[in-house]
Amino acid sequence: MGYINTILILGGINVIAALGVSILTGYTGLFTIGHAGFMALGGYVSAILIKEYNVHFVLALIVGGAFAGVASLIIGYPSFRSRLRGDYFAIATLGFSEAIRLILNNAKQIGNLNIGGSFGYSIPSGLINVPVILIAVLVAAYFAHMFVTSQHGKNCIAIAQDEVAAEMMGVNLLRTKLTALFISAFYAGVAGGLMGLFFAYQSPSFYSITQSSNLLAAVVFGGIQSLIGPIITAFILIAAPQVLLVFESWRLIAYGFLFVLVMVFRPQGLLGYVEMNLNFIKVGWKKMTATKAPHGKAVH
Amino acid sequence: MDLFLQQLVSGISIGAIYALLAVGYALVYSIYNFTNWAFDAFMAFGAIMAFIAIASLAMPFWAAALLAIVLTIILAVGTERLAYRPLRIRQAPRLFMMISAMGVNLTIVQLMNKFFGGTFRKFPVESVQPIFIGNVSIGRMDLLAGAISFAVLSLLWLFLYRTKWGLAIRASSIDVQTASLMGINNDAVAVAIFGLTGILSTVAGVFYGIKYAVFPMMGTITIKAMIASIIGGLGNLPAAILGSLLLGVLETLVSGYISSTYRDLFSFIFLIVILLFFPNGLMGKSGEEKL
Repeated sequence: MGYINTILILGGINVIAALGVSILTGYTGLFTIGHAGFMALGGYVSAILIKEYNVHFVLALIVGGAFAGVASLIIGYPSFRSRLRGDYFAIATLGFSEAIRLILNNAKQIGNLNIGGSFGYSIPSGLINVPVILIAVLVAAYFAHMFVTSQHGKNCIAIAQDEVAAEMMGVNLLRTKLTALFISAFYAGVAGGLMGLFFAYQSPSFYSITQSSNLLAAVVFGGIQSLIGPIITAFILIAAPQVLLVFESWRLIAYGFLFVLVMVFRPQGLLGYVEMNLNFIKVGWKKMTATKAPHGKAVH
Repeated sequence: MDLFLQQLVSGISIGAIYALLAVGYALVYSIYNFTNWAFDAFMAFGAIMAFIAIASLAMPFWAAALLAIVLTIILAVGTERLAYRPLRIRQAPRLFMMISAMGVNLTIVQLMNKFFGGTFRKFPVESVQPIFIGNVSIGRMDLLAGAISFAVLSLLWLFLYRTKWGLAIRASSIDVQTASLMGINNDAVAVAIFGLTGILSTVAGVFYGIKYAVFPMMGTITIKAMIASIIGGLGNLPAAILGSLLLGVLETLVSGYISSTYRDLFSFIFLIVILLFFPNGLMGKSGEEKL
């Protein structure tokens, strides 16, 4: 049972972080390869609040997420401000996450608070379990759904499709991008906090470039402009390697190869442009039966 | 003062390596408008091929470097062919190009990790006595790295501005579609561009390997080259070179006088400051997105 619990909890955490990346990369079209940095920030802030200040863990997670969100604006504002090329932002996210990891790895103390450097920072265990994660995932998915179907979400999609046209239609580019980035970093921060609570400690080694690639992979394979796609793939990407541990060393190689294959042959991903609602099951069923029906007739 | 001069020389030689990398990014960027994330994998690939040629095949340094350059050119052109060209023909969004490039990067780096091993290895060249000018010691390899880097960059400049091929590349960088209407073979230009990036990345990789170590993740320093080209001004070759030298020198001074641990942190903060106050880089004209 413990083993299945582990997969469910880690899968759920990955789903929450991937929802954040989906809002930013999938919906707004901004490429990020440094989301692990936001996870680390949110994770450490919530861990410190829980351990040192006895804050309730739900509040600590929210504050950690908000901290990551505010920190994301430090790189968001300079790179979005003057309509500079999106590549600046991607480079800045990579640099940001590396810088965060570097600080956490080397800083033994912040003020007179011992955060342990590369040894990690231990926090009380046993605060979260499967139901808590399940609720967190549902709440996260609900709010993500509300965001992408709102006016703000439509603005994001407009920016992803054509920035200049979106601006002509009156979309405030800077504000919309910063909103998407804030929410995205918030999700990552909460996921980082949950990760620390599950392992009962925080370590800079959780938040390497592998973690960022993992999140990007979930969104690319799951589908651009879809929430349900990345949710499914984010979970599978965690669950499958646990089951197929033999392939561990081939995992990143396979990811990279699949990135290219998906972009060349099916750039919309598994469920690209599919909205998350119950209709999607109905439509999917209809599509499946519709493609089979004529074939069946031709045989007879 | 002596220490300062020594740091300066060291900074210029690492800056020259950044310049090679920054120019490699700028070449692809100026024509295809996306950051070629696979570039750092090319760099590590070139260095590792040279390493294997020297360590296992006992080839002399120059022959090994040449072999590594040829192999990296094949890799770079092959990548363009398999991972970028299908997207380019379909006129896919830049986001897809970047994801595809990231995929190539992951695959190549992790394959090298698996078969070459992730450990740091010393590049197999015998260490030579540094040259002393007064009290300042200058590593011969630093000098060689600097000299060869500038030679390669000068040759590149001659190629771009004094040959017909260079004219074709420059025309494509202004407008790929119109250039192809004027009879320029797009696919041939792509081969030339990616061949050039293969040369640049291998030269940079070999010298970086000699200066520090050879390992599959060594390409992560290309982020410095990207930072340098942003500091200079993106898509502008002389600016990229100047930005690289500036970053190389400043970084070496920081690690010499403050702390080598926070050298990378400094580069990143420098980037943020530049983006805040000089959004187009120090020398860039207008970095705004084209329509």
